Amino acid sequence: MFKRLRESKSAQGTLLIIPTLIFMVGMLIIPLLLTTVVSFGHPNANGGVTYTFSLDNYIRLLGFTNDCPPGIKTCFTTLYLGILWRSLTLGFNTTVLDILLAFPLAYFIARIHPKWRDTLLFLVLVPMWTNFVIRVYAWMMILREQGVINSLLGWTAGLLHVPFKPLGMIYTPGAVLVGMVYEFLPFMILPIYTSLEKIDNSLYEAAADLGASPFRTFLRVTLPLAMPGIVAGTILVFVPVMGTFIVSDLLGGAQVILIGNLIQRQFLDARDPTFGSAVSLAMMAMTIVATYFYTRKFGFGEEIVV
Amino acid sequence: MNRTILFKLSAALMALSILLTACGGGQAATPPPATQPPAATVPATQPPPAATQPPAATQPPAAQATVAATAAPYVPPAFTSKPSGKSTADGFNCPEPNPRLPVTSKELNLFVWTQYIPQDFYECFEKVYGININYTEYSSNEEMDAKVLNGATNYDLVQPTDYTVTLMIHQGLLQKLDHSQLPVLANFDPTYLNLAYDPGNQYTIPYENGTDAIVVNTAAVKDVPKSWADLWKPEYKGQMVFADDSRAVIGLTLLTLGFDVNTTDKNQLDQAKQKLAQLTPGIKKYDSDSPHSDLLSGDVSLGETWTGEAFMAQQAMSSIQFIYPTEGSILWQDNWAMLKTAPHPDAAYAWLNYTMQPDMFWMMLTNFPYTNPNTAALAYAKGNPMQVTDVNGNSTTLGDVYNTYINSPITNPPADAIKNGHRIDDVGAATALYDQIWTEVKSGQ
Repeated sequence: MFKRLRESKSAQGTLLIIPTLIFMVGMLIIPLLLTTVVSFGHPNANGGVTYTFSLDNYIRLLGFTNDCPPGIKTCFTTLYLGILWRSLTLGFNTTVLDILLAFPLAYFIARIHPKWRDTLLFLVLVPMWTNFVIRVYAWMMILREQGVINSLLGWTAGLLHVPFKPLGMIYTPGAVLVGMVYEFLPFMILPIYTSLEKIDNSLYEAAADLGASPFRTFLRVTLPLAMPGIVAGTILVFVPVMGTFIVSDLLGGAQVILIGNLIQRQFLDARDPTFGSAVSLAMMAMTIVATYFYTRKFGFGEEIVV
Repeated sequence: MNRTILFKLSAALMALSILLTACGGGQAATPPPATQPPAATVPATQPPPAATQPPAATQPPAAQATVAATAAPYVPPAFTSKPSGKSTADGFNCPEPNPRLPVTSKELNLFVWTQYIPQDFYECFEKVYGININYTEYSSNEEMDAKVLNGATNYDLVQPTDYTVTLMIHQGLLQKLDHSQLPVLANFDPTYLNLAYDPGNQYTIPYENGTDAIVVNTAAVKDVPKSWADLWKPEYKGQMVFADDSRAVIGLTLLTLGFDVNTTDKNQLDQAKQKLAQLTPGIKKYDSDSPHSDLLSGDVSLGETWTGEAFMAQQAMSSIQFIYPTEGSILWQDNWAMLKTAPHPDAAYAWLNYTMQPDMFWMMLTNFPYTNPNTAALAYAKGNPMQVTDVNGNSTTLGDVYNTYINSPITNPPADAIKNGHRIDDVGAATALYDQIWTEVKSGQ
């Protein structure tokens, strides 16, 4: 048996994927199937599940409800679709801002003298070694009424003898966006850097020789070749942002409910794991569909070859 | 450095981070407890506890509002403290268990609120009984209940808050307590026993309790609110903090309308929703974690908060006041309960009796600013010249700690506040209705 294993490349391959396979089946496939089964059930008052086959949770998610003014049987609410939309918008805004911020930095790192690159990439990674929640708390210190920014502004105003009223930055949608953009920025920088770093310098020279302006070179050479990185970064940022609610809770003062809050509340406060499962699956489906169309348009990151 | 390797490394890191975000994020954002205590630094006591406690000193001063709302203050049985000869790492001399129960178990598994148990409780219990304690912490009742319900049944004791007791009894997770093994029950003020969620204390024994009421920084707010309804005044807009707790906030809205905090009447809840929707645009922050820090930093000036947070804020800034609203505050109590599946009930009974005996439980007065239902521990602390060190390292006597506690209307609420208070109870199937209202109101619908 061991002899066969030594000789057969495919047997070796099979053996090597077994741990991952067990992990994927046990930790992903089976839980996903359970979630699906639960999402068709009904909750009971003590937080348990009555297993049925009913689409009620999905109908509720779409906004159809029996809780109507007298005389009307079924009516429509945008409650849950609104929460989905809010999460999508936040994910979209974060991703776009991250691209705009990450691109120049990635370009800078890719074009700088190679001896500095590893140091700079290292510096991009360092903040990620701090706990996610602690980094959000750091932003609270920066943005609050007597935080870093307001203290500095107040001090400057004092020097210039102008009246100063602290800016109300924390617990606003803007603070949430800043926190999100910051938290996920490295996930955008690294893939874009990898794409840009591969670009051969002679391409820029050729573009210049053929009379292309720097702007045109950017549009026709740099951007198309950076697309794989942008695509990979977008997926890495957009997908987790959709489910993250800790930033909104801490920097936004928990004023709004995002899809992540909605799911978490169903499992704990509302004691309705069936609706929570349905929302989880719907969110997953939505992300998959969005990613599918996105990658069909822009490739999965590696199709565009120089 | 090989760039491919670097990229792979970063890709792996990213994948890991996503996974951590997905898993950890959910957990971190669990609404933290309505009862979370401050960071606990366990007091180091210098001399051993006073050998005997004068039994005559158990009467609270007549001028003070007594802890009990009952006409005659409760007088706990006399207690004599004996040293055990063991001491903890920070120098606390553990008293001898009184009474000492026979225990054969070698372990005790606790599932408790984050930072709600003095470290000396663990150390002393392990030393005097020779039992190894394993403990896990949680930060919300819902989290604890969900974990126990879904298979974390190896714990002996849990600390549910009132409405969670009802739920866990219905779920069949708790076992009835044997009162013959709980002489410590006599330490408690009867005001805090025999509550609606557990008549006759068949399943639970009190730990600490408190209220949800109005907190206000009188330096920033001229017109101090007197009732929950006052919080709707337009002048408070944008300055308010509330607990991120659907039952408490919907509950106080129901009170302003004259309804019961535990109503399941659809029509009443609809009215509460309409009313609450007028309040929420003025709420700057929902915080069930640490609202006192926003009060101190000036980000908010008033709102609804609970005993511990109000006390800490007031200690740091004297302009902060805790107002018991005219409609009645919301009362809560944390309890000990034993799981039906508890593997070490003997050790659990020993733990309950030992940690809540007067010469141990006084420790709660030093760093856990809640209302202490353990009258015997209060009596022990009163006038005790033992030196204790507070969180800031200041040395004081236990008698002074007691005076701070008993003179503060936050930790020691006036009898009226208790009498007029309301308790959140489990509402069964209507739980989903409350959650729906919360989701709708927060979504601006």
